[in-house]
Amino acid sequence: MNRISDKIIEAENLVYSYSSDGTDVPALDGINLSIARGEFVAVIGRNGSGKSTLAKHFNALFLPTSGAVRVNGMDTKDSRHLWKIRQTVGMVFQNPDNQIVSTTVEEDVAFGPENLGVPPDEIRKRVDLALEWVGMSEHKRHAPHLLSGGQKQRVAIAGVLAMRPECIVLDEPTAMLDPSGRREVLDTVKRLNKEDGITVVLITHFMNEAALCDRVIVMDAGRIVMDDAPRNVFSQVEAIRRLHLDVPQVTQLAHELARSGVEIPLDVLTVHEFADALCGSKLGSAQSSSGEWM
Amino acid sequence: MFRNITLGQYMPGTSFVHRLDPRVKILITLVIITILFMVDTVQGYGLVFLFILGAILVAQLPVRFVLYGVRPLLFILVLTFGFHLFMNEGRTLFSIGPLVATYEGAFRGFTMAFRLVLLVLGTSILTLTTSPIELTDGLENLMSPMRRVGIPAHELAMMMTIALRFIPTLLEETEKIMKAQMARGADFETGNALQRAKSLIPLLVPLFVNAFRRADELAMAMEARCYRGGEGRTRMKQMKLTARDVLAGMAVTAGMVVIGVYL
Repeated sequence: MNRISDKIIEAENLVYSYSSDGTDVPALDGINLSIARGEFVAVIGRNGSGKSTLAKHFNALFLPTSGAVRVNGMDTKDSRHLWKIRQTVGMVFQNPDNQIVSTTVEEDVAFGPENLGVPPDEIRKRVDLALEWVGMSEHKRHAPHLLSGGQKQRVAIAGVLAMRPECIVLDEPTAMLDPSGRREVLDTVKRLNKEDGITVVLITHFMNEAALCDRVIVMDAGRIVMDDAPRNVFSQVEAIRRLHLDVPQVTQLAHELARSGVEIPLDVLTVHEFADALCGSKLGSAQSSSGEWM
Repeated sequence: MFRNITLGQYMPGTSFVHRLDPRVKILITLVIITILFMVDTVQGYGLVFLFILGAILVAQLPVRFVLYGVRPLLFILVLTFGFHLFMNEGRTLFSIGPLVATYEGAFRGFTMAFRLVLLVLGTSILTLTTSPIELTDGLENLMSPMRRVGIPAHELAMMMTIALRFIPTLLEETEKIMKAQMARGADFETGNALQRAKSLIPLLVPLFVNAFRRADELAMAMEARCYRGGEGRTRMKQMKLTARDVLAGMAVTAGMVVIGVYL
């Protein structure tokens, strides 16, 4: 296998079109992109911008109409690598109800490794470990429909973790959750990235979530229009607005203040940074990692 | 309103019957069903009935609750008894117009109805003491040799698992849609049968549309987790036959064969 050590996902001139009423509609139109091992990337864009379609290319659920997607150097079009690719890049979907297969939590987490043909004892170990990771050990014999939305998403993440992936792609995992559920899920994902070095691709429409990633990719009409650190993306308030997207509330506030003459940097992303910038001093910048997601 | 429906009415417990291997329980149930169609004497029925009663007691199931399980069958029982009562030739018991009830008919009718009752009781012990997951795994395991003749054992078991998984979800959704429709003036309770059936249409259409969307998403989620059918798949929970399972299975089978052959 030709393994390129620092790039886990690469897309090259990726075009994906589907036909509607006899005409080909491009959902993705020439995407060039590479995601490095261990990165925490957010993909944002309004509805229909192609972000979800792009995500589904990362583990060969969709195959490019033209161009190529490579995972660890394996072409997703090559069916010999299909299962290896899907094991390498795990996927968590938006609706927690529609991705849980089994009638108990632990059986569901075991589903992935069972499909991979892992020996029973090893599955047991992986399931226990994965459930511990996401903090759902005490619920392992529960029926999934009795869990909250955030808990269900954590079970879904455990189900992916039990397959020992190198990368997790989350397709709007918090869209259907309440604020506390969102916090649960995002804290888990952040920890996976920081502590286990798992590459995370987070598709989201919450700008505050995107602001806390290492890198933000902005999509519009099937193309990547911006790809930079969150600070550099969100400081372009006007450009983001033109794409019918929002910037984080504090960034917007800073922008408004600057326009009315207050001297303040335009690239603040969190409440703490804002407070620091406004007071010109480091006001107890004890980070509140979980609070910042909101 | 749907919360109290538990499919198969599994009653968790730790009795001897609960702990038996599900495959053994399924096979024992099949043996009992077969024997019930072989016996033809009062003694035979009596012995099978005693065995089933014994099993209910050993399983520590509430007898009254199990017996109530026969209630939905009442109509069929009366019908069966009625047909046999009037349709058999023999000594006249009484007659209503052209219909003649006979002693032989009464006997046959009673035994047939009793047979049905025993069938339901026997199978309900299985479902009451075995969780749906165990039942599915047991069936898959028992059917797997039949793969060679084209019976998709794994696929059937997977379908059952998914059905069990989604029953509560769909019931919840039904309730939600019903409330939404009622909030907009829908009426599900009054009117004759036809009107009530009609009022269900606005409930069923969104339910079905959603169910198909769910199925689509679930299929994609399963594929993303490397699902590719039963080939090369392992299971986390392995079923192990113990000496106890084998002995229980053999003892029941032997006893039932004796009843079936001699009575």
